[in-house]
Amino acid sequence: MDQGSLHGKASMSRGSMTRRDFMQWALGAGLAVSGLSELSGKGSAAEAAAQPTVVVASAKKPAELVRAAVDALGGMGKFVKRGQRVLIKPNIGWARKPEHAATTNPEVVAEVVRLCKAAGAREIKVMDHAVDGPDSLVLKMSGIKGPAEKAGARVIMASSAGLYERVSLRRAKALKSADVLRDLGRADVFINVPIAKVHNATALTLGCKNLMGAVLDRGAWHQSGLDQCIADFVTEFPPDLVILDAVRILLTNGPKGPGRTEDKRLVVAGTDPVAVDAYSASLFGRSAEKIGHLKLAHAMGAGEIDLSRIRVKNV
Amino acid sequence: MYKRLRAARRVSQLLFLAAFVLLFALATFPPKTRIPVDLFLRADPLIAMSAMVSLRKLIFPLVWYALPVVVLSLFLGRAFCGWICPMGTTIDLCERLFRIRGRRPSQAPPWSRAKFYVLIALVVTMLLPAAHRSAKEWALTDTVGVSAVYLMDPIALLTRTFTLVGLPVSQWGMGMTRDVVTEWSYATFVGDHPLLDRALAPIQTGLSMVTRDSAVYFRLGLLSFVVFGGVVALGRYARRFWCRNLCPLGALLGVLGKVSPVKLAVSEKCTRCMRCVNECKVGAISEDPHEYSGPECIACYSCAAVCPEKAISVTTGSRDTGRDGQVRLDRRRLLEAVGVGLMAAALPKVGWGARRSQATLKVLKARSAHLIRPPGSLGEDQFVTACVRCGECMKVCPTNALQPAFGEGGLESLGTPILVPRIGYCAQSCTQCGRVCPTGAIEVCSPEEKTHVYLGTASVDRSRCLAWAFGNTCVVCQESCPYQAIHADVDDSGVPRPVVDDWICVGCGMCEHVCPVEPDGAIRVYSTGDRRHWTRDEQRELREQAEQESTGASPYPGL
Repeated sequence: MDQGSLHGKASMSRGSMTRRDFMQWALGAGLAVSGLSELSGKGSAAEAAAQPTVVVASAKKPAELVRAAVDALGGMGKFVKRGQRVLIKPNIGWARKPEHAATTNPEVVAEVVRLCKAAGAREIKVMDHAVDGPDSLVLKMSGIKGPAEKAGARVIMASSAGLYERVSLRRAKALKSADVLRDLGRADVFINVPIAKVHNATALTLGCKNLMGAVLDRGAWHQSGLDQCIADFVTEFPPDLVILDAVRILLTNGPKGPGRTEDKRLVVAGTDPVAVDAYSASLFGRSAEKIGHLKLAHAMGAGEIDLSRIRVKNV
Repeated sequence: MYKRLRAARRVSQLLFLAAFVLLFALATFPPKTRIPVDLFLRADPLIAMSAMVSLRKLIFPLVWYALPVVVLSLFLGRAFCGWICPMGTTIDLCERLFRIRGRRPSQAPPWSRAKFYVLIALVVTMLLPAAHRSAKEWALTDTVGVSAVYLMDPIALLTRTFTLVGLPVSQWGMGMTRDVVTEWSYATFVGDHPLLDRALAPIQTGLSMVTRDSAVYFRLGLLSFVVFGGVVALGRYARRFWCRNLCPLGALLGVLGKVSPVKLAVSEKCTRCMRCVNECKVGAISEDPHEYSGPECIACYSCAAVCPEKAISVTTGSRDTGRDGQVRLDRRRLLEAVGVGLMAAALPKVGWGARRSQATLKVLKARSAHLIRPPGSLGEDQFVTACVRCGECMKVCPTNALQPAFGEGGLESLGTPILVPRIGYCAQSCTQCGRVCPTGAIEVCSPEEKTHVYLGTASVDRSRCLAWAFGNTCVVCQESCPYQAIHADVDDSGVPRPVVDDWICVGCGMCEHVCPVEPDGAIRVYSTGDRRHWTRDEQRELREQAEQESTGASPYPGL
């Protein structure tokens, strides 16, 4: 099944503009704007309008951090409309407990679900394709299933191939096609809820790298160039909202741990996937410019990497 | 009255079979119950005897579990066979599939003594020492026997069939259903009807609870199916052919039941209508209905239920009845049975298994590179003899990693569990295989101990590794390693490349499992670092030492 039908089916079932259509339109507009700004030089009105905002919520309990960050972005109602389907992609990749900071904080995930529910979402799915296994163990140890289901979501470990469909990535340079979560095409809203960790292969794993759990065959990414594949994927499937969990971050032995952790008590949120990662890299004292996949994603137009061009709002 | 007893027996059979299936289904990780899910295997006196005789030691948990069946047999003879045995019930249920109509019981082959010879041959294998070796090796291990009981024990045979055949088939069925329901849930029609959508969700959730992450399969499944199918299909030649002629457990219980005070008595009302003779499942009643063979009778009481004159009754005490308690063995056949036992023990030695366990003080030599045993396994000699190939460990293994050995350990270890990392890995917090092993061939170890229970050692093939050979960014093995036994060696251009720390690596196989290089991983686990012949303390000390020292140590300490 090609990408066209993935979109086609999604649009058929709703009849209005789909999330993907919107993203493509917005991206096109964004590209046009950035092209314009390059022509007209710095400080143009167009550039100011396109300047991405990253909200950093601090010094609260995890659930409150999420609420404060989303409120600062205009509230969940801005992203999720009544009757829409929402796909939430946390990191449930490893059989580790929340305190090891290898998987997204369960309270953060549950609060995102709660906000979506309050905004009137008709279906909320929390999905990830774990590296570790068995799925039942990963779910149990991560502690996400209980709170998220209580908040009104369905938590699904996406191990079975039936949950994926083959999609060709048109703008990709390395990842020409992939088996992608069907729900990514079907959902109206795609929310990425990663955790911030160091990573031995990609230096850091933040929002963009977290999207790797939305495909069936990750091995192909390693074979055809990991950094470029991450950039390709985030360009093709940008999340509508990124809510990055930095309540506790993993500083060593990432991505699986256990390693040294630090309690940052932060949630970083935004709509620009690269900008959120660029800011979050600074939590580790690293420059996003030095992180291969973020540099490539920026080059492909997936988002802003230069911190001086990102508006950071502290709440 | 005896019709009721027969009905009670049938209910009992079905209940025990249901319990057997339920316990089998409950053998999962994470565990769902505290009941020992291998209860039927533990309660099997033949398995207990085999483990204790061949390992030359008393194993008390096995004594306690097997005791009820022993006591039952002392009082009621082979009532276990008639009322409890799930294999017997399975054979009863399949009887009609194979029965030839109109065949008279007298046409059944008169082989009922064969099962006693089978039992004798098996006992011979248990008594024979497993191997002869040099004085240096002798000190390492007790002299153990080489039990072949797995070939014939009915409970082991049935559990094995359930695992190797039943599990993949049932998982296949449930997995297909799950996929179909998943397909529906994405259909536009369903998506547009929230009610349908909501109705499908619990079905999907339910199916995902009983279905494994991925398809389950086992090598040797077909062989196991053929053996089981053969046992059931023998019903063509006689009812309960297996139970009356071949089953060594039945023979053992029959011998125990010789002292049973409970007997069948036939009164003068008998008209020699021969209905009981025709009805008897195991051919225990002779041509003269007043006489029957005690060690053959499975106490099913069908004879009493069908007797039109109500001439047959159950009595106790010393009253003289027509029961013949003798097991008459032919001396010539007896010698043959001993000979068969000797051969069963000796024949595997002609194969490549003969050199499997040449242990010097610290290193196991000349074994298959892929003979990787589950965590907590006994030393190879003891393991092979204690394992009854029931397959419970393979059933419970959540990643499908445990597979029956085919060629890895020679003929002697046919069907014993080995870890095949490309199929699955040993999950870090799981120690279920040890907990469900009925004979203790896999000893229980805690998840904490798994950091120093060395199964093998991983080794990177640098000529095929994406990072080493091609400069790709890939250290999935290093990311996934639960024990942090792999570190990244960063080259001049910043590409991390995996290096294994031989002493930290316990050989769980996660790295080999996740390696994206096909078809075999570029990192593979070999039995190199298998340290089962060390004590747990020795292994723990090695691990502690390894953590203090740096990397790159030899997997052959002491050489």
